[in-house]
Amino acid sequence: MNSLADKYKEDGVGSIFLYTHEAHPGEYYPHHTSMEMKYNHARVLRDELGVTRPILLDSLDGACHRAYGSMPNMSWIFNRSGLPLYKGDWTDVQSIEDSLRYLLQVGERRRGGERLAAFRVERMDYRIQDRENFFKGLERSGPKAVREFEEAF
Amino acid sequence: MSDPDLIARYNYDEFVPHKFGPWMRFDESPPLGVVAPDFPLWDLDGGETTLSAVWSAHAYTVVEFGSFT
Repeated sequence: MNSLADKYKEDGVGSIFLYTHEAHPGEYYPHHTSMEMKYNHARVLRDELGVTRPILLDSLDGACHRAYGSMPNMSWIFNRSGLPLYKGDWTDVQSIEDSLRYLLQVGERRRGGERLAAFRVERMDYRIQDRENFFKGLERSGPKAVREFEEAF
Repeated sequence: MSDPDLIARYNYDEFVPHKFGPWMRFDESPPLGVVAPDFPLWDLDGGETTLSAVWSAHAYTVVEFGSFT
């Protein structure tokens, strides 16, 4: 996602990471009980995972995250007027890039004189399941996070 | 800040279905093509901004929601 942000920066595309609650709280990174804890975990995300996009924190009660559906790693694309033009219940670089390319072409087509009207589409996209990396992420949180995920599914 | 019960339920302490399940409500999320709800957000230095300030800064803005875990 960092590379995607860099790739489209010059095309007028902004990117942020919005820090929510801990999806898989563990011994090392437990659930948040204060904003201070949330700030600390967000800084770890920046420093250990190398997130180079601006990181913004939601409130401790997750007001923004809850209003947008509370999925653990979803992504949205907004236009400058605040209209969501894309929403995915999971984050997938390919899916987002496909939509960005399409949206950027819409701008070019309009500048070229085409009259375009918006309409809604629903579709299923497909992502690679990288279980090895996913479990590495759980292990970063602690054995409790691994155990609870295995028991939940 | 909102009530302590909500904060505790949202920040669940263990990944068990009856604790994380109620929050998975993507089907109830805001529709496409309609101005989305705005909320305050905070940067890592403690500065306050809003989601609308973020989306109004660029032609398009990608917002990834997530956490370290």
